[in-house]
Amino acid sequence: MPREIITLQVGQCGNQIGMEFWKQLCLEHGISKDGILEDFATQGGDRKDVFFYQADDQHYIPRALLIDLEPRVINGIQNSEYRNLYNHENVFLSDHGGGAGNNWASGYHQGKGVEEDIMDMIDREADGSDSLEGFVLCHSIAGGTGSGMGSYLLEALNDRYSKKLVQTYSVFPNQMETSDVVVQPYNSLLTLKRLTLNADCVVVLDNTALNRIAVERLHLSNPSFAQTNSLVSTVMSASTTTLRYPGYMNNDLVGLLASLIPTPRCHFLMTGYTPLTVERQANAIRKTTVLDVMRRLLQTKNIMVSSYARTKEASQAKYISILNIIQGDVDPTQVHESLQRIRERKLVNFIDWGPASIQVALSRKSPYVQTAHRVSGLMLASHTSIRHLFSKCLSQYEKLRKKQAFLDNYRKFPMFADNDLSEFDESRDIIESLVDEYKACESPDYIKWGMEDPDHNLTGEGSGSGTVDPALAM
Amino acid sequence: MDSISTSSSSACPLTTPQWNLDRPFLTGHFHQETKSSSQVAASKGFSTDSFSPGNEKAIGSYHASVQELIVIDDLLSALIGIEGRYISIKRVRSKDDNFAFQVDASMDLALQESAKRLFPLCESYLLINQFVESRSQFKTGLVNHAFAAALRALLLVVFMQSLFEVNPVAKDCTDARSCFALLHVEDYQAMVAQLEHQFRLGKLSIQGLWFYCQPMMGSMQALSVVIRKASANNFVGSAILNLLQSQAKAMAGDHTVRSLLEKMTQSASSAYLGILERWVYEGVIDDPYGELFIAENKSLPKESLSQDYDAKYWRQRYSLKDDIPSFLENAAGIILTTGKYLNVMRECGHNVQVPVSENSKLMSFGANHQYLECIKAAYEFASGELLTLVKEKYDLMGKLRSIKHYLLLDQGDFLVHFMDIARDELSKKPDEISVEKLQSLLDLALRSTAAAADPCHEDLTCYVERSTLMKSLSMLKDLEVNRSVFDGSDLEEPVSITGLETFSLSYKVQWPLSLVISRKALTKYQLIFRFLFHCKHVDRQLCGAWQVHQAVRALNTQGTAISRSSLLCRSMLKFISSLLHYLTFEVLEPNWHVMHNRLKTAKSIDEVIQYHDFFLEKCLRECLLLLPELLKKVERLKSICLQYAAATQWLVSSSIDITKIDTSSDGALGMEKLKQLKLRKPSQALKVDAENASVTDSILKFEREFNSEIQSLRPILSSGSRAEPYLTHLAQWILSVGRDQ
Repeated sequence: MPREIITLQVGQCGNQIGMEFWKQLCLEHGISKDGILEDFATQGGDRKDVFFYQADDQHYIPRALLIDLEPRVINGIQNSEYRNLYNHENVFLSDHGGGAGNNWASGYHQGKGVEEDIMDMIDREADGSDSLEGFVLCHSIAGGTGSGMGSYLLEALNDRYSKKLVQTYSVFPNQMETSDVVVQPYNSLLTLKRLTLNADCVVVLDNTALNRIAVERLHLSNPSFAQTNSLVSTVMSASTTTLRYPGYMNNDLVGLLASLIPTPRCHFLMTGYTPLTVERQANAIRKTTVLDVMRRLLQTKNIMVSSYARTKEASQAKYISILNIIQGDVDPTQVHESLQRIRERKLVNFIDWGPASIQVALSRKSPYVQTAHRVSGLMLASHTSIRHLFSKCLSQYEKLRKKQAFLDNYRKFPMFADNDLSEFDESRDIIESLVDEYKACESPDYIKWGMEDPDHNLTGEGSGSGTVDPALAM
Repeated sequence: MDSISTSSSSACPLTTPQWNLDRPFLTGHFHQETKSSSQVAASKGFSTDSFSPGNEKAIGSYHASVQELIVIDDLLSALIGIEGRYISIKRVRSKDDNFAFQVDASMDLALQESAKRLFPLCESYLLINQFVESRSQFKTGLVNHAFAAALRALLLVVFMQSLFEVNPVAKDCTDARSCFALLHVEDYQAMVAQLEHQFRLGKLSIQGLWFYCQPMMGSMQALSVVIRKASANNFVGSAILNLLQSQAKAMAGDHTVRSLLEKMTQSASSAYLGILERWVYEGVIDDPYGELFIAENKSLPKESLSQDYDAKYWRQRYSLKDDIPSFLENAAGIILTTGKYLNVMRECGHNVQVPVSENSKLMSFGANHQYLECIKAAYEFASGELLTLVKEKYDLMGKLRSIKHYLLLDQGDFLVHFMDIARDELSKKPDEISVEKLQSLLDLALRSTAAAADPCHEDLTCYVERSTLMKSLSMLKDLEVNRSVFDGSDLEEPVSITGLETFSLSYKVQWPLSLVISRKALTKYQLIFRFLFHCKHVDRQLCGAWQVHQAVRALNTQGTAISRSSLLCRSMLKFISSLLHYLTFEVLEPNWHVMHNRLKTAKSIDEVIQYHDFFLEKCLRECLLLLPELLKKVERLKSICLQYAAATQWLVSSSIDITKIDTSSDGALGMEKLKQLKLRKPSQALKVDAENASVTDSILKFEREFNSEIQSLRPILSSGSRAEPYLTHLAQWILSVGRDQ
């Protein structure tokens, strides 16, 4: 059972999208709600062992850890029809069940407190695999548990399993509506720092864009969380198809990510998926050739990350890398033609400073999931316009920080005790440099970026610890 | 006929003892033989005018009417090859068997002339008779036997009845003469007997004799022409049939002769068709005299297919000989393959016989071409049957798919695992590698990945070659490799080749699938595999290098050697994954797709073999394996990538001292320690900044080397792309690489 991947679902959002993800995987692999392989699914030729393992009674059990600080969502899972799927030893709920109160610092702090318990669970899972490839973290960056405790776990994983890959599916908050979480910008910023420094790859799931897609593309007037989550689970399962249905290439996570991620920090990926449907809603069947799929994947309206860029900036934005995972009944001879056509039409604007092209992975489609469309496609791309998302986070943070609003909640926890807000500043610097780096990627001489001023060396990161600085801001 | 005995002895292993040949009394020749020898003696003693030694009285001394009776009597004897009192038969010993008839010179001149007119008929009879006798010997082959038998029947009384049946006029015919006239068309000796009867009755004049014999003369003449040719060239088997047919065609104007010759052809070919029928319907060569135009080479065993690269089994186990009967000329190929197919099925223990129905019997090869229809039907049956057998019982497509999974890495997850667990073993030198160990690791990898679901995965075996891919390619002479580049100087083996360069998979293919997936086909698969395998290895190493860079993301590396290095790493990754991408999605997969569709519609195993070979050839070519110049460049690029990947750890860790982080995080020391280390890092890094110069230098060196190699690909690809259009595809993939510099 080589190259296993352990999934950590942290927080309310993380567990919700995680649950959808496992539902989707079960469907695709013909695994029943109880983890038993359906009779029709015995001759698959698929790789279930990457995400599942088999218990003594042949039940398939997800390599998943369900972690939350408040019981609502996990209890919901445990009372759902999927309750027998999960390993109950892998569920972690805090004793008090009080949650993190949408406070990053609370989540982080509580994470530190229960590190040992959770690490035990992770170690147990890791020991149960032959050659662990890495971890997948599902969480949102806005709340308290997913962001704060997720951040703590990222650091802990980096520490304990430094050789393993860490990929995250991070849900970015909907910035169009006013959130009930007022401290969302703080939480996002602090989480982004960990995502930048401690994850190998972050798949950005932007709720703003997911909502937009649900409204515009799926014609749902008021999309529910379940509906946007089903979009997320589609993306998550599609992005793992090459691991589960092996093909010529990208059969391991590292191979998949290495070709997508140019530099260690520019590891934020955006996704696009077509044709989009939500559960029980069959769209009108459209023509789905490879070219159609690829073309639609490049349309911004299908991309699950919103860029807040003005037109002038958007035209500067460039693709650093693209991987199109195309599933289904594809005539492989079409692939070349489609790529050729896209190249001729100049539909993709690639970076100038290095090699770049659309990579294609053809993958089988699960025979057990009936879809109206013949071909579906997922795009994983590294695109410089993602920096606008971070810029937006930064500007929202700045606004709040300027007002010194809601900082008291954070000062209650050791990291920010004694009014030490350096963590905020540091996070801000790191995100800013990330934005700069993405921006630099748009210029043709990115290779020489920063070379001419060596003093700039090694400015970021340094005191990510709980060192005490008595400087007070107020 | 001694000449016959020598000619056919080579084709036929059977021989008769010499005494059998020496017995002149078995044949009718002694009549002439003894005479001719005595004739020599006689001619010395007597005048040339005198004939038989026993002649008491010259014929001229009789009255003309008596002379006529004597001459008729003598002629009747001569017609069946016996000398009369005044007509002698001399055998002229020359190249052809010629006979000279001589009439006593004292005979009435008018009678002489009449008699001489009949001599050609007598001569024909003698020739035919002699031919019949000589060709009835067993070694002359079935066709000759059948022909001789037909001739003998013609000379005796066989066709009479059929004649009566055919011609309704003959039935109610009471007139002896009209009956008679019908008779002698077909049958010679009966005619002579009838004539003699008439003669005894006193009703036959010499003119009457001439009248009655005339119709026969043409036929006999034509037959004797055939026979002369046949015996002059010692024809056997199909040559006889060809001769008969061409003569029949040449005689198209003369209806009687033509139908006679056609009848002869038919009779002569019936035995031949029997042989053919067994071959076409059962795939058996039942041909003791070697007359059939299909030869079997028993020295080519079917096992050679799966062992010998140059196995000739399929092409040469059965082959066409030169002497194809003209009427089968066009069908010869089909006949050969039909029998071949039936043979394959028999070898599989699958006994198949073409269903024989009423009209599928190979009766004749007349103008209606019924025989061709039969052959075609048999061919279609055999090829259809074999194709179903190979496709369904032996699951050809499944096997090919499984080979594609493993040798073309269509399902590459097993390889990821295998490379994980066999890393140490593979990095040894080829002769230190334990193939058994590799095999068990491979089995483990197969069992624990998606391959486990494939029942064919157990047929996969490991194999370690002794030489590099380039060398192996240059050793396969029959590949159309551009040889000029493979000159000795470039080919010295790198000193340190490891299992990674020489590892290969092999696949056990059983008869009859080895017809399609022969050793040669498998070798081509292996060549492609080795190339892919090494590319995958490079890709893995670069992924490792990528991970090394990932590990330092916590540090701001902007503007340092590390960021430069990570971009180089990305370029290299891009190169190798573009190459792999090209190989798999632009070459293997589309070509496979095309072949797969073609195989579905293939009508015979030969088509299957052809499509499969074409697929491999095309893949081999498009995978650059036949373009050594390009391949060398690619190998060079790969080796730069490998050198870089090997150096990465050192490059990165010496530009920033992160080794301590690694050691600390391996142990379970926890966060605190890590953070202390991280705290110290900036200062440490600044300290080693001086060292960085050399690191930067070497990174820049790698970058320069890599870029210049990539650039040097450009002219090669663009100049080659005119002849080989797929190179444009490759160029699009790889050379988007170089567009910035």
